[in-house]
Amino acid sequence: MSVSISTLSAGVIIETKSARVSVAAPKGRLSLRTRGDLGVFGSALGVEMPSKIGACVRSGELEVLCLGPDEWTLMLPQDQVASIFDALNAIYEAQPHSLTEVSAREVTFEIEGTHATDLLSIGCPRDIESIPVGEARRTVFDGVTVILWRDASTQFRMDVWNSFAPYLAQTLETGCKEIAAELA
Amino acid sequence: MSLYRVAGKGRVTTAKPVSFSFDGRTYKGLEGDTVASALLANGVHLMGRSFKYHRPRGPVAAGSEEPNALIGTRRGPGRFEPNTRATVQEIWDGLQVTSQNKYPSLKFDIGAVNDAAYMLFSAGFYYKTFMWPKSFWHKVYEPFIRAAAGLGVSPTEEDPDTYASRNMHCDLLIVGAGPTGLAAARAAAMDGLKVVVVDENPEAGGSLLSEPQVQINGQSAWDWLSGELDALQELGVKVMTRTTAIGYYHQNMIGLCEKVTDHLAVLPEDTPRERMWRVRAKQVVLAQGALEKPLVFNGNDRPGVMLAGSAQTYLNRYGVLVGKQPVILTSHDSAWHAAFDLHDAGAKVQAIVDTRDSVNEALQKEARDRGIPVKLSHTATGTSGRLRVKSLRVNPVSGATVGAGYNIACDAVLMSGGWTPSLHLFSHTKGSLAWDDDRTTFLPKETPEDCVIAGASRGLWGVAAALMDGAEKGRAVVAALGKKANVQDYSVEVDRAGSGVSHKELPTDQNPGKAKAFIDFQNDVTAKDVRLAVREGMRSIEHVKRYTTTGMATDQGKMSNINGLNIAADALGKKQPEVGLTTFRPPYTPTTFGAFAGYHRGDHFEVVRKTQIDSWAEENGAVFEPVGQWRRAWYFPKSGEDMDAAVRRECAATRASVGIFDASTLGKIEVVGPDAVEFMNRMYTNPWTKLAPGRCRYGLLLGDDGYIRDDGVIGRLSQDRFHVTTTTGGAARVLNMMEDYLQTEWPELNVWLTSTSEQWSTIALNGPNAAKLLQPLVDGVELTEEAFPHMSCIECTVAGLPARLFRVSFTGEIGFEVNVPAPYGRQLWEALWDAGQQYDITAYGTETMHVLRAEKGYIIVGQDTDGTVTPYDAGMGWAVGKKKPDFVGMRGLARPDLVAEGRKHLVGLLTEDHSKLEEGAQIVFDKNQPIPMTMVGHVTSSYDVGTTGRPIALALVEGGHDKVGDTVYIPMPDRTIAAKITDTVFYDPENNRLKIGSGV
Repeated sequence: MSVSISTLSAGVIIETKSARVSVAAPKGRLSLRTRGDLGVFGSALGVEMPSKIGACVRSGELEVLCLGPDEWTLMLPQDQVASIFDALNAIYEAQPHSLTEVSAREVTFEIEGTHATDLLSIGCPRDIESIPVGEARRTVFDGVTVILWRDASTQFRMDVWNSFAPYLAQTLETGCKEIAAELA
Repeated sequence: MSLYRVAGKGRVTTAKPVSFSFDGRTYKGLEGDTVASALLANGVHLMGRSFKYHRPRGPVAAGSEEPNALIGTRRGPGRFEPNTRATVQEIWDGLQVTSQNKYPSLKFDIGAVNDAAYMLFSAGFYYKTFMWPKSFWHKVYEPFIRAAAGLGVSPTEEDPDTYASRNMHCDLLIVGAGPTGLAAARAAAMDGLKVVVVDENPEAGGSLLSEPQVQINGQSAWDWLSGELDALQELGVKVMTRTTAIGYYHQNMIGLCEKVTDHLAVLPEDTPRERMWRVRAKQVVLAQGALEKPLVFNGNDRPGVMLAGSAQTYLNRYGVLVGKQPVILTSHDSAWHAAFDLHDAGAKVQAIVDTRDSVNEALQKEARDRGIPVKLSHTATGTSGRLRVKSLRVNPVSGATVGAGYNIACDAVLMSGGWTPSLHLFSHTKGSLAWDDDRTTFLPKETPEDCVIAGASRGLWGVAAALMDGAEKGRAVVAALGKKANVQDYSVEVDRAGSGVSHKELPTDQNPGKAKAFIDFQNDVTAKDVRLAVREGMRSIEHVKRYTTTGMATDQGKMSNINGLNIAADALGKKQPEVGLTTFRPPYTPTTFGAFAGYHRGDHFEVVRKTQIDSWAEENGAVFEPVGQWRRAWYFPKSGEDMDAAVRRECAATRASVGIFDASTLGKIEVVGPDAVEFMNRMYTNPWTKLAPGRCRYGLLLGDDGYIRDDGVIGRLSQDRFHVTTTTGGAARVLNMMEDYLQTEWPELNVWLTSTSEQWSTIALNGPNAAKLLQPLVDGVELTEEAFPHMSCIECTVAGLPARLFRVSFTGEIGFEVNVPAPYGRQLWEALWDAGQQYDITAYGTETMHVLRAEKGYIIVGQDTDGTVTPYDAGMGWAVGKKKPDFVGMRGLARPDLVAEGRKHLVGLLTEDHSKLEEGAQIVFDKNQPIPMTMVGHVTSSYDVGTTGRPIALALVEGGHDKVGDTVYIPMPDRTIAAKITDTVFYDPENNRLKIGSGV
């Protein structure tokens, strides 16, 4: 087991008949903390802000995930980060909030394939099947806090702070081979 | 065909012979055999030696409860496992098996002298023998006990196997795939319910595998079984074999250990040897069945003496006769059927000896029909035969009188003392038990978990009762899951539900004080040991257990607990429940460390965090050290350098020109909102209101007790936005503490926290040439004393990268910390490295960082503080805002103890002989005082020669701030070191070197 992610280059880490694990291309990622009238933010961002924890809303290239009662993650193309800052700065006086860029904080693993849920079950104690498609959860994988997005029945994204990425890549690689061997 | 194999019997594959070796000799078995069944087929009963007396032993059971037949298995280097149960290990071509606990050979073992000296090894032997003299402990007793302790040999080579783990969620987990479990599964098998059945055996079926004569719904047991398994699979039920439910934990979490490859001749690639499943089940049905109880009589441990039900299993499941002239010794009907089965398979049953005076007439008739002699109202008082039983001595019993004994020649004694419900997992749930006087056993009562127990594990005997109860309990749990259960009827013929009585040790006409009537076979505990323990004052079964070690072997007393309890209760003259039952603990059967470790071994042993610059450090020969979960570059040795030399070089180069350091692991928290400054004022001791945007300040964080918890440089990026740094190890803790205060104490504040530790790669440049190196790469600010003084911060670009640039110093030199988005970390590092070549830039690690900061008296929280140090103790009263209305820890600081005289203060120490002190060494004022001396402090940091020409140390010393110039003493094992108390700043106390253009 040895995977080295020193630079976060996008690409496939491993692909077997059980699943494929890859590192996603970099994306803009913002952490929004606030309370009060979400509608103001919805108007500024052009989406209906989700208020149920784990719910995701998409509008164009912007994806908004509700992570807590006062916490949202915004995913968007990197080159649109500045415009979001501008849009929300304009409502700062009326609706105080914290908008912080964390684009570089995390690495996204893309995990897909017929046995993607089995692969996730090697490190995640949560019932993966219970996550509705289109939602996301903050959970743990192999002892590390992750955000797990279920984009389709067998298609997931896993966001993890970059220092943990090499360690989790090892776990995913091992599991991918193990489950493929079971199918053999 | 082997000597004891019966054609047409068993589920082994006659067409597939398998070769394996036992103690170097090759044996043939059949596919489907265990080591035990294959050896028994070859007439081999002797498989091991007992733990204490080294008595010859053979298998007494056929399943995972086996206490005797423990073997070592091996498949090539590193793949050795001791103490494997021969009754569980399946054979494969090439399997190497060795016996244990014998020297020089299994048949002749020197340790067996212990057996002759058994009077010395009575209960409590250890406590009595190893008491005195005290001086014998280390040199004599402990080595002796260690040498004698344990069975088998620990593996010495690294295990090349891999282990796995997985989580599973299901609606219903059924433990045990016997008739009870399968009936429960059938009741629940439907769309929308995820049902999982687990069984430790290689195939499902449980007792049905040993009872092929049973007819279920008009089919033979095995036909019904295979049809039923197909049907269950069709209905989506997952049946997992070779999978042991090892423990039942809180809230219906069950641990399963799946043996994946131990039965395979060729190991498949990428496949773990074992897999630990962590199952969360909404409902659980426990259908673990029952275990047969041995009878306790003199010589009941001789090879060839085994449980009658196990003999039946060897015959019906493996096609093996355990003896050709067996004698049956029983107090329960079930063993009569074993006699009939063995007779019908060609054995000449010598007699059925029953302790009861009356037995079901139908059974007696069946015996008569087969010409088997029947002896009722008999006891057994001995066996003969050295390595294999040759005869059983039996005596008629009339009332309390044991008549004259006589021998029955035999080659096997098949005993049954009745059956004990398997309550292990039920007990793990903290389920309560009720004593059942009729059956002389504990039965399950209530459990706090969502779990029911069914079939033989709640004392119901026979296949019909098992199926009915399994179906009924299955229906109950399905109803609890809000579904309508399948209704299935079972009609069962040729069932063998029977009854029996329970005994303490069997009566004897001989001296019971000399009887070797074993209760616990593996730990060699006899009935007289338990009685002795009671005579010597043990009253609770827990004490009897520990004094005699009964039930403490690797089988956890599966066979011995009830017999031990019955005998202890008899000796105490109490009812069994008043004496109590010992606690069952996970795991149900011995489980490898590998299964528990799972993926976490070797380079995946624990979570390791790496910075983006880690790879550069690795390529450049860094030695790493773990700091929390991080691995950090410790120092960068050049060839031939040891740590001291490398650190001295790194220190000198940094002070002489410029050093580069990866500070990415520093915790970072972005504090944002209109109330950000108010929040900072309340959290930190320092005042923040007047800190202008673009400036930094050193912040000190206390707990509410007034003690230092964390520190770091904090930059104000804009009016409402602070870039807080924390210690590496404190990052998560500080964020949690801040969130706690925000959510519970100050919810009115409009301020929010975001962890940005990993948003940034942070590179520190320190040294007189740091500004010169950096200036050409910086766009947006002039690195001059005027434009960007010490303790400034700015958002700019560095080497073309977006950056947050801080002018701070943890070395006492001109210092910068450049933060760039994490993935650019290595790119920036290399850019600075290249640009620094003209200044002989030197990479340094955490050790040099420690030395340079200590020379300046900068503290490291957690090293120079230990949770009992106030800012004043640390000489940092300057960091406490005196005019602030409040901050976390302000009231704590006013506590009488914290303002008292004579607290320990942080000071510097310089040794008189220029030796390096030991970190943690204790300090005394008077070296001539009598021992035990009064200790007045300890060394917190100590370093060899850095750049100050001599070793330096920091220490906490009582009243230290008032003792500067005094000499204190540090007593060490070989000498006492004298040291002078100094200020904590050893280098450039005027801070001249922090100034750009100061000319140093």
